[in-house]
Amino acid sequence: MAELKLQHIYKRYGNVTAVGDFNIEVADGEFISFLGPSGCGKTTTLRMIAGFEKPSEGVIMIGDQEISNAEKGYFLAPEKRGIGMVFQSYAVWPHMNVIDNVGYPLKIQNVPKEERLKQVMEMLELVHLKEYAERLPSQLSGGQQQRVALARALVAKPSLLLLDEPLSNLDAKLRESMRFEISAIQKEMGITVIYVTHDQSEAMTMSDRIVVMSMGKVQQIGKPYDIYTKPANQMVADFIGLVNFIPATAKGDRIFMQGDEAISFPNPKKLAGEAVLAVRPEQITLSKTGGMVEGVMNHRFYMGDSVDYRVKVKDHIVRVIQKGAGYNTYQDGETVYLDFDNVMSFAKDE
Amino acid sequence: MKKSLPRLDSKFIVIAISVLLLLYFIVMPLLVLIYDSLFINGVFDISNYKDVYGKKVNWKALTNTIQLSLIVMVASVIVTFPLAWLVGRTDLPGKKTFRTVLVASYMIPPYVGAIAWVQLLNPSVGYLNEFLKFIFGLQKAPFDIYTMGGLAWVLTLFYSPFAFITISRAMEKMDPTLEEAARISGSSPLKTLWDVTLPLMMPSIVAGGLLVFIAAASCFGIPAIVGMPGNIEVMTTRIVTFLYMGDDKGIRDATALAVSMMVVANGLLMFMSWMLSHKDYTTISGKSTRPNMVELGKWKWPAFAVVAGYAIIAVILPLSSIVVTSFLVSMSKGLALDNFGIDAWIPVVTSSQYMESVWRSIGYGIVAACIGTVLALFVAYLSVKTNITGRSIPDLLVVLGGATPSIVIALALIVTFSGNYGLNLYSTMWILIVSYLVKYMTMSVRTIAASLSQVHISLEEAALSSGASWIRTCKDIIMPLVAPSIVAGWFLIFMPSFYELTMSNLLYGSDTKSLGVLLYELQTYADTQNASVLSVIILLIVLIGNIILNKVTKGKVSI
Ligand SMILES: Nc1ncnc2c1ncn2[C@@H]1O[C@H](COP(=O)(O)OP(=O)(O)OP(=O)(O)O)[C@@H](O)[C@H]1O
Ligand SMILES: [Mg+2]
Repeated sequence: MAELKLQHIYKRYGNVTAVGDFNIEVADGEFISFLGPSGCGKTTTLRMIAGFEKPSEGVIMIGDQEISNAEKGYFLAPEKRGIGMVFQSYAVWPHMNVIDNVGYPLKIQNVPKEERLKQVMEMLELVHLKEYAERLPSQLSGGQQQRVALARALVAKPSLLLLDEPLSNLDAKLRESMRFEISAIQKEMGITVIYVTHDQSEAMTMSDRIVVMSMGKVQQIGKPYDIYTKPANQMVADFIGLVNFIPATAKGDRIFMQGDEAISFPNPKKLAGEAVLAVRPEQITLSKTGGMVEGVMNHRFYMGDSVDYRVKVKDHIVRVIQKGAGYNTYQDGETVYLDFDNVMSFAKDE
Repeated sequence: MKKSLPRLDSKFIVIAISVLLLLYFIVMPLLVLIYDSLFINGVFDISNYKDVYGKKVNWKALTNTIQLSLIVMVASVIVTFPLAWLVGRTDLPGKKTFRTVLVASYMIPPYVGAIAWVQLLNPSVGYLNEFLKFIFGLQKAPFDIYTMGGLAWVLTLFYSPFAFITISRAMEKMDPTLEEAARISGSSPLKTLWDVTLPLMMPSIVAGGLLVFIAAASCFGIPAIVGMPGNIEVMTTRIVTFLYMGDDKGIRDATALAVSMMVVANGLLMFMSWMLSHKDYTTISGKSTRPNMVELGKWKWPAFAVVAGYAIIAVILPLSSIVVTSFLVSMSKGLALDNFGIDAWIPVVTSSQYMESVWRSIGYGIVAACIGTVLALFVAYLSVKTNITGRSIPDLLVVLGGATPSIVIALALIVTFSGNYGLNLYSTMWILIVSYLVKYMTMSVRTIAASLSQVHISLEEAALSSGASWIRTCKDIIMPLVAPSIVAGWFLIFMPSFYELTMSNLLYGSDTKSLGVLLYELQTYADTQNASVLSVIILLIVLIGNIILNKVTKGKVSI
């Protein structure tokens, strides 16, 4: 019922293109995150789905109903889209108590008072706010206000829920627990969710699929595992997790590390000419005895549960992270060997 | 470290002097006024109040004042809220221009507005009345300005900007996602306005309304020009009438009325600031997104027409009337092309008596503004930049002065500085200047305090630690940074002082007749044309002042 389709969506402000050619089909009950650096167009896209911004081009559909069609100049008003939304600033109405805030969408639908109260209390139960029902927002903490906002967005049982960085104003601990609450509620209600964030661990843990965006463009859409292990390009690899980039040259079915042509890797993408090798620091094994690549220990940072090494390989500094307490195993200046468990390759300036 | 003592001293002396001045010129006169109203020859006696409120005229004046102020308050809010919403929250065409025009009457002296509306709507030859008679073939003038309705009309047009400014500021501060949250909950734009915007704005609406109420109740110029000819008396005109009697009894009756006014005005203002500090929802907001303008759709142009119509009636029509009248050759010939010329201007600009008043008022304004700005700077500095106990007392005293109705201030200064308490300023220019300072310093303090609070304390400490004295630090570091706000603060005292009427009218002497008083006399002698010429001169000076102010503060402050 709540499949969401965005087809060739553009949003331009003057000659700034905030969003360019956004395409996605979201399945019913799917949890999708929009992930990307600040200013990449996440909020703009979300607000176009909600109806607060008009796309300059393209079509948005919920199910088989068009809710926005720029070519026809047709834009359904936000209040008619039947969407729930949670704002970054909570947007809990300060002049209404918790019950009235949460009950407002039902009041608009003329749900009788008794029935309304029953549904509101159910919702408050779900977000663990039952004992705060009579309070005013000014008597609630940030996390509690955020949960009021969530309950309000869910109370009318929308089939699509939009969240714009709902956790970014909360402290780290609360953020963690809210993350699981939101996931649990989503599973329980079977609702479709679009979740905007620039926190990759949030996106990784909660989402069925992640949309990685940069400078108004979709860079990759995929499952968290695929995004991490098979990033579509250098930008995605860089944005998700940590990564070492090493300049290289592709010839035939091998890619040669710059500075030492003796070291080469397979070339599954059939790249040619200048290329970039990418290896994640935790996908490298360090040893004293031997491996693919030889290097010199440059620096070590003790992190408690792991050690963060910098190893000089030819002209490049390679970052290596090893679990466990290996800090004293190596000395600065010592010759070490690296084994790359998973080497990715990209064309240069992709 | 050694140098810290003398530094503290100079700061302390400057501040002590400021506080003493404020106590002497603001607090003492008000206390003397209260004392005079309650004690007769040193004996406690409330017969002043009994006498005053025992007379029917005074009761009538009181009920008139309350009735008028209530009507004006309600009308202002009803007119202003939709205007503020249209201008602040929707895609209304020409919003910026409308905003400027709608607050413009704020900088026009109220009595000039009154003169304009008398020209437009007086029952015998009002331009607008004549025009309507001609269009609809009426026998009788449809409107009579010299009525309660006429009075309420002019007061509303001239004081609704107080409400407009208060309400539209609150609207700009409001987090727009609060409205968006209602939209996405299923509420239409209009229902959102009703369920969310309006309740959130309520504290500001009440505050703006109360400001209008107080301003309307304290106004003298408009009731004097519009009400008196129709024998409509209000509190302010009653007080002036008592004073014109000139005897002790008259003054005592006036003090009783004035003290009642002061209590009500200050009481309402205290209630207002209490309410705003307890119920101001607009300051509660997280990180907000860009404001999303409500699209008016097919209502866009009808709304434009309504707002434009209001702007024309409220501002453009009266201003045009004044300007046109000043350029008529003969009042009796009406609006004919060959009847235009500068004939009325020549006698005014060549009259030494008139021009003396103009220059005198400019001079008084300059003196008041210079003294006031220096004082305001110290007061603002004290309240936002130091942590001496009682640092905000001077600020409070200044606010008290500004909140007190002009007529009350004038009376308090008369009873205090006529020699009974040491200083005799009666009939000198200084009593006028003191009155301007008491009434108008508060805006200046606010403006300077706002910019001072943005100058970080570390800048100052850096100067102090490099060995500069406190005075030197003020001059070298603080002054240049807050200079624009100081210029603004200067104009905020200069402009209203320069065209002041209510207080000047009671305090002037034979050699200190100010421009406002002169204009008021000309109007009451029915010399409309000379009054119009002088009004245009005032408007020009105010306009120039505002342009300078706008340039200096880059549009952040205007009157
Ligand atoms: N009304 C507007 N006028 C001009 N440019 C705009 C407007 N709204 C957004 N933009 C631009 O569009 C781009 C995308 O903005 P958007 O708010 O969608 O970013 P975001 O991904 O949500 O960033 P953040 O993580 O900081 O919230 C930005 O470069 C922004 O400057
Ligand atoms: Mg955003």
